[in-house]
Amino acid sequence: MLHFELIMLKTEELQINIGPQHPSTHGVFRMVVTLDGETIIDLKPVFGYLHRNHEQIAEQNSYLQNMPYTDRLDYFNSMANNHAYAMAVERLAGIAVPERAEYIRVLMVELTRILNHAGALGFLINDMGMWQTQLAFGMREREKILDLFEAASGARLMCNYFRFGGVARDLPPDFVPRLRELLVAMPAFVDELERLLRENEILIQRAEGIGILPKELALAYSVTGPVLRGSGVPYDVRKAEPYSVYDRFDFDVPVGSVGDVYDRFLVRIEEMRQSRRIIEQIIEQLPDAQGGHINPKARQNVRPPVADSYARIESPKGELGFYLVSDGSTRPYRYKVRAPSFINLTPLGDMCRGYKVADVVVILGSIDIVMGEVDR
Amino acid sequence: MTSQIQRGNVVTVERGARGQRVPGGGLLASMAVVWKHWQGSFRKNDSFEKIHGTFTMEYPEERPRLPEAFRNMPILLYDEASGHELCTSCFQCQRICPPQVIHMSQAKDPVTGKALPALTEFVIEYDACMSCGLCAEICPFDAIKMDHAFELATSDHAGLTLHREQLNRPISYYEGIAPNMWAEVKDSAFKKLQGNIKRRPDVIGMAPNLAEKIAARRRELHPPELVAAPAEEAKDVWSAKGGTDGWSAKDATDGWSAKDATDGWSAKDATDGWSAKDAKPGEGRESSAAAEAPPMAGAPAAPLDDKAARLAAIKAKNAAKKAAEAAQLPPAAPQDE
Repeated sequence: MLHFELIMLKTEELQINIGPQHPSTHGVFRMVVTLDGETIIDLKPVFGYLHRNHEQIAEQNSYLQNMPYTDRLDYFNSMANNHAYAMAVERLAGIAVPERAEYIRVLMVELTRILNHAGALGFLINDMGMWQTQLAFGMREREKILDLFEAASGARLMCNYFRFGGVARDLPPDFVPRLRELLVAMPAFVDELERLLRENEILIQRAEGIGILPKELALAYSVTGPVLRGSGVPYDVRKAEPYSVYDRFDFDVPVGSVGDVYDRFLVRIEEMRQSRRIIEQIIEQLPDAQGGHINPKARQNVRPPVADSYARIESPKGELGFYLVSDGSTRPYRYKVRAPSFINLTPLGDMCRGYKVADVVVILGSIDIVMGEVDR
Repeated sequence: MTSQIQRGNVVTVERGARGQRVPGGGLLASMAVVWKHWQGSFRKNDSFEKIHGTFTMEYPEERPRLPEAFRNMPILLYDEASGHELCTSCFQCQRICPPQVIHMSQAKDPVTGKALPALTEFVIEYDACMSCGLCAEICPFDAIKMDHAFELATSDHAGLTLHREQLNRPISYYEGIAPNMWAEVKDSAFKKLQGNIKRRPDVIGMAPNLAEKIAARRRELHPPELVAAPAEEAKDVWSAKGGTDGWSAKDATDGWSAKDATDGWSAKDATDGWSAKDAKPGEGRESSAAAEAPPMAGAPAAPLDDKAARLAAIKAKNAAKKAAEAAQLPPAAPQDE
């Protein structure tokens, strides 16, 4: 009997792998977790399984040829990726964008933000174990937005819609009426989503006080997007460095106070409301915007001068930046992506330390990553 | 807590009052939402304004309504009136294609050897195409457009390398799926096509699956009573290759088409999977011309087995080539156009 007790007292650290082929790792992503019982002592994120040489391929392509490849970075938000890349090339080559095209761009990126958050929250709840219910509701709203994207750009996910100095084609005639209908449904959807989950005891148990990322640590890791704002830092590229026509819209920046999973969840819900506000203002101002979209045929051979440029936008996941170096030829000499998913993933170990192993998938879900962007 | 920033506020999200929540109240509220959705699921949702009800459709029976701008895979257009392809083999699409799946070769004048604004072969590897639509956007002659057909599943991987005959669609087909987008470019496309037809001698640049049209055009160009048959064959690369009925005969001997006939790209499949009817059903647009399947190369008699068919095709091709070379040896008198 004494012998048995001695064995029970002896505890050992256990190292296990979560992933790379795990349904809740949002892609092929591995976490090497060191456990003491159920408690996490250390967590090391391992990625690179989805590496496909994106940046090197881009250096072999002409500037326009890269546009469809940027769709495939964060395949949830192809319009936002297009915007950042188009802005970087326009800065490099000094191309002006007509006003109407700027409005269309911002409209598309804000729609992207709504659909990204609708999906991201669905996946977060999925990871908590509320299998598919919230995801189905979110995906249904996302489908409506994708229908609009399809009507405008021709594709639902890989939109490839932005061009240097404009967009591929103007909005179809039935776009704005359908968008108005969608905006009628949007508050009902967001309110319902909040009613469904905000006070839900199960969600609160799983989210409140879990995965706390302190403000200082978030800044030290240069985390951006809803994760940073959830930690209480009111930083939004749209406000800090208003690009495109963002300085013409009124909208609020929601921030959290604790920095846990629950705050990130609430910040995303509020951001959907703010995006809807921006879209309403765009619909008001769009008819007055001067200058049509450009003819993309005119811009197929961009040959920027020898220079470099960095353009960043507030993508739904955080600050997305493209750094381009031109050697004066038709293809970039260096092409670098500052991917928000990748940088937001780096503090994962610090966020998970001390929590239980079941919290890991929830914390990962609250960061909202897409592996296509992490690995590139 | 809110603080003012430029054109907006920083709003701290409300986390809800701890300890004041009714126990189980949140769960009941959640259940009410789910219940409402369950009730709604018996009705059809037909408007973007509603968030309850089913959005799904009974897919194979009920077809999705595709917007005009929808793009899936590139196709090549030809003009039914003249039988000529719009493509001039300017290589723009081949250059812009990001995954580099478009390949083409330019037609040469059989007499002078100069490059002509026409194709001899055009290949798109559908399996690697990323449907970005840059080829269609860049094309200065509006010859390459994006198709609406999306049911391309096949068990034949090699069959996803599509050649000129399989890519060809009449203009009326494209007009049926995207009337407004075609109307925008129609005039300039036809103007450019007329200019190019003038520069194409003989039947070069005609859509290869229009066998009767090519034969008719050939009869028109070289009435049989004026030109002796052997001399005519000597001058004409196409006829030397494939006899008088040109492309259909060549198709039968060309290997891939013979194989295709057995492997699932037969004419029957072409009508099943590729027709305009399938691409835009339920759209309510009346278009009789587009509803028909685009004329494909006449399906050759299915050979006994794949390997034998390929072998026969290669043999026939070599024989035709030899004949063409032999026929070209005597100097041909320049053909006046």
